[in-house]
Amino acid sequence: FRFKDSLAEDLRRADLVISHAGAGSCLETLEKGKPLVVVINEKLMNNHQLELAKQLHRDGHVLCCNCSTLVETLQSMDLSTLKPFPPGQPEKFALFLDKVVGFQ
Amino acid sequence: TGGHTTEILRLLSCLSESYSPIHYIFADSDKMSEAKIRAFEQKRAETFSNSKFTLDRIPRSREVRQSWTSSVVTTLYSMLYSLPLTYKLKPDLILCNGPGTCVPVCVSALLLGLLGIKRAIIVYVESICRVETLSLSGKILYYFSDYFIVQWPELKEKYPKSVYLGRIV
Repeated sequence: FRFKDSLAEDLRRADLVISHAGAGSCLETLEKGKPLVVVINEKLMNNHQLELAKQLHRDGHVLCCNCSTLVETLQSMDLSTLKPFPPGQPEKFALFLDKVVGFQ
Repeated sequence: TGGHTTEILRLLSCLSESYSPIHYIFADSDKMSEAKIRAFEQKRAETFSNSKFTLDRIPRSREVRQSWTSSVVTTLYSMLYSLPLTYKLKPDLILCNGPGTCVPVCVSALLLGLLGIKRAIIVYVESICRVETLSLSGKILYYFSDYFIVQWPELKEKYPKSVYLGRIV
């Protein structure tokens, strides 16, 4: 398909997601608790976009590969090694901001 | 734009009713943020019946990978819009998370503060995508914001004046 407004429905039904390293794609997938294989194409993406994917990989939340190693990764992967991705905590930000502004 | 809007709405999601009215400022070229903001505010109105908000657009200050010198020119052009807008709104608090749009707004607020017209607290939250390096907006506003929040420990080490609260979006 071309561009959809939202992938939420497809994500909900998926058992495995294979994605590029875009932050939105990675985070949306991880928040839905789906296993994720990130395909990194160093030629296409500028450096900062890889930072998040690399960190998520270091923390054990995603599997990483590049285009040429994708098939091999899919064949040999063990998804049980992936760690769940806890949600962010905007409530901590709210607490901080309340102190800054003087609402307590 | 896009990811920035999603992130900032998450930052706003736990704020109390006292943070009202909220004035959203975004780039004129941004087609999607208005719908996201309206959806968010509709939900917010279900909990806080008196919540108010406004939407304003200013010219986009910089395209992705636009050169430094032309970015200064386009940012100055955006300031022709952001300065009167900031003067009109006279915010107590400015919350931004990195799109180029935030630079002219924050510079306008700083100017109004220097002129004794209105002093706003500037809180900058760097995007969750920034793990090892700061965005260009971040590099600039690290020096000019009152509170600079990062979401990964490596950035806290590199930028000691920043605040680290963990992942907040």
